[in-house]
Amino acid sequence: MLELIDITKKYKQTKAVKNMNMYIEKGEIVGLLGPNGAGKSTAISILSSLLEPTSGDVKFRNKSMIKNPKSLRQIIGIVPQEIALYEDLSAEENMKFFGRIYRLKGEKLKNKISEVLEQIGLADRRKDVVKTFSGGMKRRLNIGVAMLHDPEILIMDEPTVGIDPQSRNYILQTVKRLNKERQMTVLYTSHYMEEVEYLCDRIYIMDKGNLIASGTKDEIKQILASENTIYLKADYWNESFITKLQEKPQIHQMKVEGNEIVLVVSKDVAIFSKLAHLAEETSVQLRAVDVKQVTLEDVFLHLTGRALRD
Amino acid sequence: MIFQMIKKQYLQFLRNPVEIVLLIGLPIILITILGNALGNLIDGGEIDLTFKLAIIEHEDEEIQVENFLTELENGDLPDEIIAAFAAVTDSLAPVEMFKEVLRSEELNDMIIVEEAHAREMDAIKADDSYAAILEFPENFSADLLENILLDEKMNPEAIIHYKAGSEIAGNIVEQIVAMYQEEFTLGTFLGNNGIDPQQLQQKGAEITQEVSSVSPHEPLSAKAYYTIGMIVMNVLFMATTIAQYAFRERQSHIFNRMIIADFSRWVYFIGILLTALIFAWIQAILVFIFAYFAFDVTWPDLTAFLVITFFFTLAVGGLAVLLTAISFRSNSEQIISFFSGVVVTIFAFLGGSFFPSGTGSFLGKLGDYTPNGAAMSAYLSILRGESITDNADHLIFIACFAIGAIIIGVISYPKRGAAS
Ligand SMILES: Nc1ncnc2c1ncn2[C@@H]1O[C@H](COP(=O)(O)OP(=O)(O)OP(=O)(O)O)[C@@H](O)[C@H]1O
Ligand SMILES: [Mg+2]
Repeated sequence: MLELIDITKKYKQTKAVKNMNMYIEKGEIVGLLGPNGAGKSTAISILSSLLEPTSGDVKFRNKSMIKNPKSLRQIIGIVPQEIALYEDLSAEENMKFFGRIYRLKGEKLKNKISEVLEQIGLADRRKDVVKTFSGGMKRRLNIGVAMLHDPEILIMDEPTVGIDPQSRNYILQTVKRLNKERQMTVLYTSHYMEEVEYLCDRIYIMDKGNLIASGTKDEIKQILASENTIYLKADYWNESFITKLQEKPQIHQMKVEGNEIVLVVSKDVAIFSKLAHLAEETSVQLRAVDVKQVTLEDVFLHLTGRALRD
Repeated sequence: MIFQMIKKQYLQFLRNPVEIVLLIGLPIILITILGNALGNLIDGGEIDLTFKLAIIEHEDEEIQVENFLTELENGDLPDEIIAAFAAVTDSLAPVEMFKEVLRSEELNDMIIVEEAHAREMDAIKADDSYAAILEFPENFSADLLENILLDEKMNPEAIIHYKAGSEIAGNIVEQIVAMYQEEFTLGTFLGNNGIDPQQLQQKGAEITQEVSSVSPHEPLSAKAYYTIGMIVMNVLFMATTIAQYAFRERQSHIFNRMIIADFSRWVYFIGILLTALIFAWIQAILVFIFAYFAFDVTWPDLTAFLVITFFFTLAVGGLAVLLTAISFRSNSEQIISFFSGVVVTIFAFLGGSFFPSGTGSFLGKLGDYTPNGAAMSAYLSILRGESITDNADHLIFIACFAIGAIIIGVISYPKRGAAS
């Protein structure tokens, strides 16, 4: 339904997006994942016709949207990464303003505002000025404003940044419900793995302007199908244990985090006895050895050699 | 759509009383301060420009003229010339004639002349009731006559002592002296050539007329002057205020929402234009209404007043569009703060908001090429009882300014809003 075709976007010095391809089908929730500066916001700005790409094409129902994005603009809703609201206006006044610019009016607008305020749980604060809202409430209103005109596609840029877990769950559930009940198509951008894992059917992973993986959750996890993630715990590590670990060819990735070590190892290697042996040899007291399910976080670590939120 | 933009701006103003105080309270405070403090400078009638002038002659003029004639007789000039001079002795008294000029009807409500003796010099200098002292040095009249009639080189000078704070009075005396000297020389010359000495008296009268036009004689109170000066200056801040709101709207990505809603940029521009125009209009009218009640600034021709206000606020709207477009393009607020911090002050200075620059002067002419200066000239002219058609040139300039600002704004507007 909506696609990016070989999109590149150059700012003066930086290439924010490089040769990116992406598509969204009706009724899907698609995740776009990547660390700070990956190019997520740039990509969705292009997708939503806010920004012209340096090269490449944006197609909506097989028509290019670069020159004439009107048909696209009518059916998308955008939740910007920033709180794009008038702080001096009340929740209701904000909604009225944005509803009016979508040419909604009269009873219809009134009903819609009440409905959305109910959905985002702000009905009792409708008369209050946004300035007086908590961060989470502003986030929710930021989302609500984008839903007034019943968009077919909702594009959300990190809608849960900096809010408490409750508000966050509320938002995630709302998105899921909208998708289920109204077949709303959603593009959800985040750098929280858990959110994307919970919400999305398909996922794109970006880093430094490049798309480094894409597919369904399972497909992406397959990237690590031949590998396991092992967590080691001890009171302390010593130099020689770590050096010797690094020398082992079966260990593809390793990360030391305080008294925990995360290893990505080939699957069918009898690694446990080797680890135990090595610990004994270097007199390290292992407290726990744990094998975990592969997560998207691991995939990201695998693909980039970095954790997502480094 | 445009109505929504205006309404949301209204709500934002409503919730920012500080902004309202700055836009409306500030001009009122400034009018009060400037009207009182600088009133003396421009008020012709009420707050007075009347001042006391002391004239000190170091030597009696009659004696000097006699001595001059005696010297002539002893000299080697032909007798008939000497006789001709002697015949016009009456008109050969330059200081006396000058005093008569000062006492003439045209000047005597402005200048109170008091003759004093050289001994009293120090006392007069210390006396604050005197604004200036005009001192004729010893032998002044004789030297002057020699200079004029015999082409001797010596050019005696009267000395004008200004009192601190009375520079204007000093200036006026200086101008009168300069003009008188010129006319006296010419008059004597004519008399010398057998033209009726009566001519001299008439010349004297003419001089005084010219002199009186030197003094600012407008039927305007200082408060009226500064009401207009401060309004045309402060209404410019409405343009920067609206541009600032627009820029913040873009910074906070609200503008992106508008783009996504397919809000055309033309509608946006017209929205900015009308928002600035309407609020500038309200701002100006509120202060004018205040001035009407508090300072008695009344308009003889209300339609003309409203037309000028409309044109001026249209220019303010154009400025808002221009500032918005440039700030969007440069992606920074700098142009707006530069305009409100520097340009407004320069415009206000040139336009005559702080002091009258005089219609004929270079500054005055330059000031008419600022929107506020042109509006101010038009307002003043209406207040003086002139008609709107006398101000067509000002209105045309303001309209051109508005249109020019809008066009440059539209041209410099970036094609698509940046996302970042
Ligand atoms: N307007 C701009 N001018 C210049 N460079 C920009 C601009 N906007 C973004 N960039 C650069 O492009 C790159 C990608 O930025 P982008 O905002 O798309 O990342 P992101 O994935 O959304 O990051 P985050 O998670 O922090 O929101 C960054 O290096 C950024 O510095
Ligand atoms: Mg971003």
